[in-house]
Amino acid sequence: MSPSINPTDHFKNQFATRFVHALNNINATKSSPHDDHKNMFQRSRRVKIAAYTAMASVSGSERAWSRALLWKIRNRSRNRGLLLRNKKRADHAKVSSKKRNPNPKRQDVNALRYSGQELKLRKIVPGAETMDSRSLMSETADYIKCLVAQVEVMKSLVDLCYTKV
Amino acid sequence: MSHELRNDPSLLERQQARMKWQQQKQQSFFNASDHTMQNMFSTSMPLAQTNETFTGLLSGHNGLDIVKPDPGLMEDWAGFGDHLSYGYMNQNSIMPLGADQSFVHGNSVSVSTSVTVSVSPKKRKADKGQSLEVVTEKEKKLKGCAEEGDSKITHQNSNNSDKATGDNKSSNSKGASTNTSSKDKSKVSEVQKPDYIHVRARRGQATDSHSLAERVRREKISERMKYLQDLVPGCNKITGKAGMLDEIINYVQSLQKQVEFLSMKLATVNPELDFNIDNVFAKEMFQPSTSEFQGLGCTSETPNPAYFQLNSLDQVYCGLDMGINSAEMALRRSLTAPMSIPETFMDSSCFNQILPSAMWDGDLQNLCKMEFEQGTLIPIQSHQYTGSNEGSNLKMEM
Repeated sequence: MSPSINPTDHFKNQFATRFVHALNNINATKSSPHDDHKNMFQRSRRVKIAAYTAMASVSGSERAWSRALLWKIRNRSRNRGLLLRNKKRADHAKVSSKKRNPNPKRQDVNALRYSGQELKLRKIVPGAETMDSRSLMSETADYIKCLVAQVEVMKSLVDLCYTKV
Repeated sequence: MSHELRNDPSLLERQQARMKWQQQKQQSFFNASDHTMQNMFSTSMPLAQTNETFTGLLSGHNGLDIVKPDPGLMEDWAGFGDHLSYGYMNQNSIMPLGADQSFVHGNSVSVSTSVTVSVSPKKRKADKGQSLEVVTEKEKKLKGCAEEGDSKITHQNSNNSDKATGDNKSSNSKGASTNTSSKDKSKVSEVQKPDYIHVRARRGQATDSHSLAERVRREKISERMKYLQDLVPGCNKITGKAGMLDEIINYVQSLQKQVEFLSMKLATVNPELDFNIDNVFAKEMFQPSTSEFQGLGCTSETPNPAYFQLNSLDQVYCGLDMGINSAEMALRRSLTAPMSIPETFMDSSCFNQILPSAMWDGDLQNLCKMEFEQGTLIPIQSHQYTGSNEGSNLKMEM
């Protein structure tokens, strides 16, 4: 019973509360039968997004990766709303942006600046495209820590569910 | 007058070798710390009329102002003085010293305390070593102008000074000073042994300020990499940055995939079972200590699936009161009891309630154990959640 709290335990608790809240929200909104495959897929995606959102929001806004993650998630949901509203137009925009996207200059600059592995790592860690190498390392370390804690909590949740069943 | 200043202990400690030269100098000035004086001095300094002009260096915090004699490099000292005196001197009289200016900016505090610019090598950053070398070279030049035959000062290899003056030339773009410096350099190649040199490379581009900064950067990155290495399992054996990065990437990817997989699993499980925050917390809290409690919690909740539906914060609290079977009630009460009820009473009540239910017969010890742990863990929990919006959870969890 030490007064100092292990930061990872703290993180896990916070994450668990948020994640469970989000799951409950998902369950509350989902009352339709789940046998549909597509429905299932969407559902798992929502769960995943909820997990990432909980992780990022618990880790706080001083971390670049959590900011980037939250931003990405928000933007994605906004885009999806647009997509739902007028799918055709969104698809068209997507295609056109794809055509424009190659943007060789920037890609080349990135490829020149960083080695292959580092570039790869930048693609994996959220928000790492614009970091310098030093902060990339520290952010990656923090991100890994949070991911490990997240995986542990989710594992225990899954175990719990299956033991219940 | 300058001698008194030079007897400033910090100065003595830092540069004893330069004392000799300082004593031979008769034209040093000392003025008070007021800005007007400083202003006067700095403005009264024209561009190197003779070799015997003086530049006031304001030591901002000490209130000590020392004027250094400047035989050849008046502008340089003026440049330093400019930065030290917070821009009192007019800018047009000072030609820009690229590296030197940055140096003075970076170490302005140390410069101001040690009065002369070149006395501050201790606080120097590694990437500014080049500019410092330039400064020491200037000292040498000054010395060369004043006393050519001074035997007190140790001699170093002339390569270093050559290099330094070369950089000096490029950075200063001052014709006259570099001319004199090159003249002196041939004779006077003495450099006081500086205490700041941790740099092994002496010639070539390795002493370039850019490469020094790059080296510092790389060191920091490798430091972080070591930290990362500790985080990623199985990364300790791998040497080399590329392999390590590969390992890290693989690890992160595997974690992300795991998250995806787990979320899929949760999504498949979800419709049947709602999540109970109590349960999650029990699991989280007791995971390291006991495995029994988890099983106990799970078995205790299986009989009444109706309870699972009461999940939101207020409803759980209600559910606590309307527990259906007695075992559930007992469990709940034992969980809430340590908050208000004295322990002895709680124990008796728990036993009374639990005994009737046949399914708990074998688990009594477990329950007792759990109670004990619950009691010990309460302070942590409450400490953790006070002030946060999860504070309301506290009741519910316990």
